[in-house]
Amino acid sequence: MAYSEKVLDHYENPRNVGSMDKNDPSVATGMVGAPACGDVMKLQLKISDDGIIEDAKFKTYGCGSAIASSSLVTEWVKGKSIEEAGKIKNTAIAEELALPPVKIHCSILAEDAIKAAIEDYKSKQSK
Amino acid sequence: MNYFQLFNIEVSFDVDLQQLSSNYQTLQKTVHPDKFAHASEQEQRIAVQKSAHINDAYQTLKNPLQRAQYILVQRGVEMPNEQHSFQDTSFLMRQMELREMLEDVRHSGDVDAALLEVQSVLSTEYLALSQIMRTQLSENNAASNSAACDNLRKLKFYQKLNVEVDRLEDSLLDD
Repeated sequence: MAYSEKVLDHYENPRNVGSMDKNDPSVATGMVGAPACGDVMKLQLKISDDGIIEDAKFKTYGCGSAIASSSLVTEWVKGKSIEEAGKIKNTAIAEELALPPVKIHCSILAEDAIKAAIEDYKSKQSK
Repeated sequence: MNYFQLFNIEVSFDVDLQQLSSNYQTLQKTVHPDKFAHASEQEQRIAVQKSAHINDAYQTLKNPLQRAQYILVQRGVEMPNEQHSFQDTSFLMRQMELREMLEDVRHSGDVDAALLEVQSVLSTEYLALSQIMRTQLSENNAASNSAACDNLRKLKFYQKLNVEVDRLEDSLLDD
């Protein structure tokens, strides 16, 4: 199956690969996985006191589309508020990367990773 | 007729693979194309369909994870949508570590030892999880079936890791 140019670009030059300290109160960590293909995705967001995402890092074990989806998401969320980031839809990710139908689940995984990270942040805040 | 009945074996996660394989071969002989060489076109077509069905059944029961899934589906347990992402954070953290461990094998001083280490860790964890699932499947109540379903999803991550291990092994041989 041929990957789109955008997927290849993110796959070959992934943006913002790395890790942050998950115990840092300003760092939100979203972990999600896809049992069907065994992909594992970790998205971490550094969030300022006023709720703006200052930095984002990801680490993904999976196919090119999963890596591209998470890489793209780190670019998109930077500078956004957590509310805005929470509104990013998998359909927008899939469209931007021109993902074929069989790879839509990779974009769903990336959307769920943002949501999981925001959940983690909220639970950290309420402590 | 379900797949277990087809091979005349008990519906259970514990399957005697030798018996399964020998019953499979016996059954396949009954629909072998040679037997239908002089049969009508329709009979030939039915034999081919039966053979494909027997083959599907065999492949499903032979593979432990597919077998578990088949048992759960037969019990009417609703399997979570495959598109639905899995969010058990501590489990996924461990999966990440295992993948990092596998990634480091290539850069290790003693590649063979590092690979063996990963394989041993993976098989220990897989076995432990699979034993829990086996007990849950044998309990066969709503709570245990749902827990078995959850563990089946976890085991799929290990299955994927094992594919990666095999791939790494192959690529190391090529180097």
